[in-house]
Amino acid sequence: MTAAAQLATTTDSLGLTVDLALAGLTVGSAAALSGIGLVVCHRATGVLNIAQGAQAMAVAYLLRDLVVVRHWPVWPAVACCLLLVAPALGVLLDVLVYRPLQRRGAGPAETMVAGLGVFVLLIGVAVLLWGAAPLAGAPSPLGGAAIRLPGGHGLRPDTVAQLAAILLLGLTVFAATRWTRFGLRLRAVVDDRRLAALTGVDADRVSAAGWAFGTFTAGLVGIALAPYLLLDPYGLPLLVMETMAVAVAARLRSIPVAVATGLGLGIAQAELTRLRPSGQLLPLVEAVQSNLFVVALLATALLAGPRIGGEGAGEGAGAAPLAVRRTGDERAGGGGAGGSGRLAGAVCLVLLLLPLGFRGNDLRSALLVPALALVLLSIVVVTGYGGQISLGQAGYAGLGALGTALLMSGRVPGVPSLPAAPALLIAVLATAPLGLLTGWPAIRRRGLALALVTFAVGTAMSRFVFQQPYATTGLVLDRPSFLAGDRAFYLAELLLLGLGLLTVRALHRGRLGRALTAMRDHEPGAVAAGVDVPGLKLLAFVAGAALAALGGGLIGLAGRAFDPAAFDPVRGLLWFAAVVVAGADSALAAVLAAALLIGLDAGTVAGVSAVAVGALAAAIGRLPGGLAALPVPRRRPPPALPALPPSRLSPTGRRVRAAIATRQAGRVRKTGEDGAS
Amino acid sequence: MPVEAALRSARVRYGPLEALHGVDLAFPSAAVTVLLGRNGAGRTSALHALAGVVPLSGGQALWRGRDLGGLSVHQRVRRGLALVPAERGVFGSLTVAENLGLGGPGHDEVIELFPELAPLLPRRAGTLSGGQQQLVAVGRALAACPALLLLDEPERGLAPAVAARLHAHLLAAATDGRTVVLAAQSLPRTLAGAAVVHVLHRGEVAFSGEPGEPLPKRFATPR
Repeated sequence: MTAAAQLATTTDSLGLTVDLALAGLTVGSAAALSGIGLVVCHRATGVLNIAQGAQAMAVAYLLRDLVVVRHWPVWPAVACCLLLVAPALGVLLDVLVYRPLQRRGAGPAETMVAGLGVFVLLIGVAVLLWGAAPLAGAPSPLGGAAIRLPGGHGLRPDTVAQLAAILLLGLTVFAATRWTRFGLRLRAVVDDRRLAALTGVDADRVSAAGWAFGTFTAGLVGIALAPYLLLDPYGLPLLVMETMAVAVAARLRSIPVAVATGLGLGIAQAELTRLRPSGQLLPLVEAVQSNLFVVALLATALLAGPRIGGEGAGEGAGAAPLAVRRTGDERAGGGGAGGSGRLAGAVCLVLLLLPLGFRGNDLRSALLVPALALVLLSIVVVTGYGGQISLGQAGYAGLGALGTALLMSGRVPGVPSLPAAPALLIAVLATAPLGLLTGWPAIRRRGLALALVTFAVGTAMSRFVFQQPYATTGLVLDRPSFLAGDRAFYLAELLLLGLGLLTVRALHRGRLGRALTAMRDHEPGAVAAGVDVPGLKLLAFVAGAALAALGGGLIGLAGRAFDPAAFDPVRGLLWFAAVVVAGADSALAAVLAAALLIGLDAGTVAGVSAVAVGALAAAIGRLPGGLAALPVPRRRPPPALPALPPSRLSPTGRRVRAAIATRQAGRVRKTGEDGAS
Repeated sequence: MPVEAALRSARVRYGPLEALHGVDLAFPSAAVTVLLGRNGAGRTSALHALAGVVPLSGGQALWRGRDLGGLSVHQRVRRGLALVPAERGVFGSLTVAENLGLGGPGHDEVIELFPELAPLLPRRAGTLSGGQQQLVAVGRALAACPALLLLDEPERGLAPAVAARLHAHLLAAATDGRTVVLAAQSLPRTLAGAAVVHVLHRGEVAFSGEPGEPLPKRFATPR
């Protein structure tokens, strides 16, 4: 190769690097904008706007509708969407969803569930209004010819606009928080809402402003990203949700770090396309490249440590993450001893036995109920009993299903292909210790930090394990011959569910149950009382992983296939919200929730269950403790029986009665004298 | 003595429990009123009802003859009311200077009164000791120069000398025309110059009078 040719290759490669970097800026600047929105909204309201992706999607849909369908001119439509609709949506969410939660001083789990509810609801509304099919032609307000830079590189005008928006928003927020009285008030409200009111700050107005800004940036992100995608109700929200990594890297605090991380990740993602290793590594590199934001989310959530978001955000050291206190008496749900518990148990039993009379497709969808109930039970154990937020249970369910399938197909090196029952058992036993993946981080984390880590672990499992070619091709998953019939399999599932319920009940009773409850209600107090909190957390997560794996394995066996979409992280979020809405510390409520989730979707249009859960979850602020804690109309105590007629007493009896009467009279006189002196 | 603020047959209810059973309390203007009572007697509920932190389930809260019913907490505060809560009275994530600045313009007078705060100004309030935090909480309320100042056991965690200084300042503020209501477990010796003492017992008024009158034994000044 001559020197000239070498030089040409070098400049070529340099030119390609620059081109890729400029292309990466588009995604990077959108991620940075999303990061600014999340950070500002969190700083203003103390809440991580988990529904940001759905808000972005809604605004993008609205803009497309205005421009493409109603033929508005582009710029007035953009102004209407960003300056009118988005802030109004934010204020509406604040008033309806988040304000009741904050007034009540709800913990991070409930706030997160409310956010998930908003997320699911907005998606449901979008599906109802615009359909689930992907739509093309989202307007790009600044589309057009690329700007030519020196050196022949092109830069899209909308990327320039996004960078300008980042700069403008960053500087505005910086100046407002530093130098205005509003910034000080805002920080006061985030620190302690009640106390802020006592210093004359209108806390409601401040947090409404925070939500308006958060939704405004979400809309900006949606409008920026939509032209590059087909607009569909699921893709855009997920994409925006992955950019949460940017905000987590900034510890929900620093805007410059968020911007730098967003731009850096965008560029890195573009540059990674150049890396083409041969052989086995290629799928892995490709997976990392297309899921770089997920990798970043996992890494930042693990590295950010326990301090993220928790500091001074109103969740003191002892704040229980969930309101599980009963409005009625404790007995009602405790062990199913009270009337309402027995009623719920009876309803559950009837619901579970009902499908035995089904046939065909109905029975086939009913097969999912006990399996899903087991997965939901795992959330009851980890979150309801142990008080640890876990958004990654779908991952463990998926591992259970995948493990069973791998063992049955003989794909595990050194193990011959096994029949279904031992394969399921081994898969459950193998998944249980993997509960440490989320259990270990839980030892030092709580609330939001823990939620992020578990979500990241679940998402990483989905992207790097379930969706890889080895997991999706050539797997055999079938039921044993004696359970080939749907009815027989359903009975076997009921048996396993019963075992699971007994296990869960054992976890909730006695010394262990008290220790778990103590840990949930007040961790420092539990430590002080001698509870081995780290060990207990690990136990809760391991038990949860085993239950979820069992449920997941059954889901796989019921469908006779491993379907990665069944264990999508978003589905995990929906399951978590369903459990909390049903009443996180009630095992029976989880079973009912599973029946309703499956039944609603099977009986009506798919997605109705999601909307129902979403609406209830968004209303969690007015529903402390979930549906299970709703006051049950109490039966009146039976009227007191009329006093027995004086019975005829024997002479001895009469003497005893007289003696008792005199002794009582004496005691009364004595206490009376004591009181007087 | 003109009445600045009053509770009229006020009831406060927390779920199924009623903490104040329709009490009538009057707080004379330009004077210090001390609200005595044991734990659970309803002192805090009375103060919170005046400030609007808890809603009244019956009766009225009056201030300058006006019913406070429709006003939220921050609206009352903007009209010149200040409450120092007994616990969690500071913004832990803000510096002491910012805490005082949120109160109002009287920042320098507070430092003059409590010079202990001067070296702490740049520190985050959450890193202070309990007594220092209490001082910041009281200081923030004083910085607002309120017309009606409500304090819930402000002496908690304060050194006796500092508490005495605070009491002297409150008495002086009263002669300047401010109205002060202070809740305490027993009548502090340094507040003997208070105008009125109300004693609450189990959510009802057990005694109203002047500090010189013989108080029920357990509320009298400790020797």
